Amino acid sequence: MLVGFAKWLQATPLSIAVQSARWVVPAMQVIHLVALSIVFVSALMVILRALGRVRTDEPFAETWQLFSRFIRRGVVVLLLTGLVLVIAEPIREFTSTSFWTKMVLVVVALAATWAVGMRFREGGGDRSGAVFALLVWVAIIFFGRAIAYDEQVWGVLTLSAGH
Amino acid sequence: MAATIPPFIQAVHDSTVGEFMRNSLWSMPVIEALHVLAIATVFGTVLIVDLRLLGWMGTRRAFTRTADELLRWTWIAFTIAAVTGVMMFTANTLSYYVNAMFRWKLVLMALAGLNMAVFHVRTLRSVASWDNLVPPPRAARLAGAVSLLVWLAVVALGRGIGFTKGYNFEIPDDTQIQMEFPQ
Repeated sequence: MLVGFAKWLQATPLSIAVQSARWVVPAMQVIHLVALSIVFVSALMVILRALGRVRTDEPFAETWQLFSRFIRRGVVVLLLTGLVLVIAEPIREFTSTSFWTKMVLVVVALAATWAVGMRFREGGGDRSGAVFALLVWVAIIFFGRAIAYDEQVWGVLTLSAGH
Repeated sequence: MAATIPPFIQAVHDSTVGEFMRNSLWSMPVIEALHVLAIATVFGTVLIVDLRLLGWMGTRRAFTRTADELLRWTWIAFTIAAVTGVMMFTANTLSYYVNAMFRWKLVLMALAGLNMAVFHVRTLRSVASWDNLVPPPRAARLAGAVSLLVWLAVVALGRGIGFTKGYNFEIPDDTQIQMEFPQ
């Protein structure tokens, strides 16, 4: 069903227009990479502050206020550029196990990071939660790159066989 | 015109690391993912320092405080990016060697280094007088702006290599190419 939808989407005039303008995919990937850097390092700053490794001269709430804003805005840019990339190459993305893994992990990372933000702001929060959030962000970057190598990375678990 | 392959480029290609990068199933995705992770950390941390130099962000803290605590992470990440970058290079040396985006990327990274060196030798010496100043002096703002633009270009050129690598060749006139690919 997903493959059927992907095939339909790939044949729509919008997708064909995006595919035909050959600069769109590279340009979107560059913006995606820049936004990814901003979101990742912003999350890293929040998490390292929670662990007491950076910005210990200011309260956690101040670090959170500064960097959670960059995470929110950066994620919007990531979703928009990601959407254009999906429209350009829906079959590549929808038949990639790494793509779906990444999508689930994005939700997990945002929830975990906001849990860190809320709890540490109130003076609670444990270090393992902060480390967990960091590991999920790292995994997102890994699976994002792994979309291009789905069969190598997943073997029989790839969704791309036969397409 | 066939490009002559410098012996060094051929030797790197034939190295054990090169063999490993070409033959292992997981080497490329894992090394590329590490490269992206390292680049994201380098670019993100440099961006925070650059925005502080420009006086656009984090101005409630002294410049040296922001720079000192972040640039440690930048250098660790840069080392990882360099090692993984060299590993990717060994996999396919010639197609990188002849690639214009790859060459420009190296030139711009050298420029980023030069900008940093000038900043260290000239502007940073007087940091005590502008550490808390908003906006920072013109030389500091200029260093931040140059760094920001150069690193943006490095990221863009790096991604561009993936789209142009292996296409820098001329097709002989008498070659017939089937342009219709199977769906």
